[in-house]
Amino acid sequence: MNEPLLEIRSLSAGYGSATVIQGLDLSVRAHESAVIIGPNGHGKTTLLRAIAGLVRASEGEVRFDGVPINGRSPERIAASGVVLVPQGDGLFPEMSVEDNLLMGAFVSSSWRRRRESLERVYSLFPQVKERARQQARTLSGGERRLAALGRALMRTSKILMIDEPSLGLAPIAIDAVYGAIAELKERETTLLLVEENFSHVRGVADSFHLLEMGTIVRTGSYDELVKDEEIASAYLGSAVES
Amino acid sequence: MTDLVGILVTTVILGSIYGLVAIGMTLIYGTLRILDMSQGSMVMIGGFVAWGVLVSAGWSPVLAILFAFAATFLLGTATQLVSVQPLMGRRNSIDFEMITFITTFAVAMILTNVALEVFGPEQRNVTPVISGSVDIYNGVNLPYQSIAMAGVAILFMVGLWAFLGMTRWGMAIRAVAQDLDAARLMGVPVSKLYPVTMGLASSLAGIAGVFLGSLYFAYPSAGNLPLLEALIVVVFGGLGSLSGTVYAAYAIGLIQAVTEIFIGTTWDLPILYGVIIVVLIVRPQGLRGKPSEARL
Repeated sequence: MNEPLLEIRSLSAGYGSATVIQGLDLSVRAHESAVIIGPNGHGKTTLLRAIAGLVRASEGEVRFDGVPINGRSPERIAASGVVLVPQGDGLFPEMSVEDNLLMGAFVSSSWRRRRESLERVYSLFPQVKERARQQARTLSGGERRLAALGRALMRTSKILMIDEPSLGLAPIAIDAVYGAIAELKERETTLLLVEENFSHVRGVADSFHLLEMGTIVRTGSYDELVKDEEIASAYLGSAVES
Repeated sequence: MTDLVGILVTTVILGSIYGLVAIGMTLIYGTLRILDMSQGSMVMIGGFVAWGVLVSAGWSPVLAILFAFAATFLLGTATQLVSVQPLMGRRNSIDFEMITFITTFAVAMILTNVALEVFGPEQRNVTPVISGSVDIYNGVNLPYQSIAMAGVAILFMVGLWAFLGMTRWGMAIRAVAQDLDAARLMGVPVSKLYPVTMGLASSLAGIAGVFLGSLYFAYPSAGNLPLLEALIVVVFGGLGSLSGTVYAAYAIGLIQAVTEIFIGTTWDLPILYGVIIVVLIVRPQGLRGKPSEARL
């Protein structure tokens, strides 16, 4: 009954001969919002890219919705309901914001409902609607992130993965992005976030997973992790003090 | 005034046909990052299709265009599958642009030599798509064939622009050109999109071949000069930029028209290439090319 939506077992993945992810286990249940924390360069982004199929797994298994998906092409994985907002947003720079959103609905089942989806995204992010005709490369950092989130919502997703939602944004833009993420959580979207900024993510996370040296070394709720002094001082420092 | 009309008309006609031959090359470079050397062969095959349909079978010019479109679409798709697709997976670990330059060139050589075996070396006359001409201004005489050629070329270029700008698959081609990983994350099946894009681009060269065949002749090496011209147009316009390709095609048409009318046809090529050297020294990225990414 309660089989995880995403289940990763002994996953190893990397670039060329460099293994970044090593023997990693992780599971995310439907409607859960899971957050991966950990130091830079230890494989957080690689993990999301491996789930999405952009990085090939050398060992282990990724099961999604009960089916093994590792080894499938990114486009097949995308079509099965895995949505990734990559680091740097991955907007198409020379396309208008609206065309970018429409590309989010490329998968046939979503393409039929693209007009309704567009209206929904525009009502959720009025700033994005104001920029609809502009080329994506002319947007500010905050607008880009919202446009990328909006594009992710153009498709029916079973899991939405976002790589560092607050990276490089001004505080006011971070509030807007996390406002949107909180709303997604309200709607019971399954979320898998990579985030450095603990103070923002605390309010939306059901579980935290600490990724070090390419593997998950601790898993727990905020209250559980905060009891571990080492983790608290290394990753949750500012949040604990406040 | 007569000179001016002459220049304008010549520019539009030459520019349109250059544009049609070159725009497919730009589409391919923008999407797959390869310089497709088989594009000249598609022009040659378009010419032979025109000869077969118009002369051998005696059918209508519309059928010649349709058959040329279909034949070169299939051949372009096959060329991608045979000479490019097997290398796609390794494109980051090999000199992909150089190797595909050679593999597509090899396809061009095979097609040329097969045509030589099948049709022989002689030049075949292709009936003009439309015969007759019209005096448009004070002795500036324009064959209907040239008007049709420019019209069809412009129609297909506008059609391509609308396809890329307004349709689901057209947008997917642009998306792949601008950010391959992001396009795959959207669910765009690139392994199907690449061959179809190359087929589409080749079919534009094939249609140009129908007109060039009847303007000159159909013969096995008829694609060599158009290939060279297309290469010059795409580099001049900025590799991978569709608008740059169109500007460059008409700019080159204008330079040739001006030289032909004021200096004489023997000087048009030296002057044209002189201008190209100067432009590329000043703007190595071409008229509309952007130094780093930025495609289609």
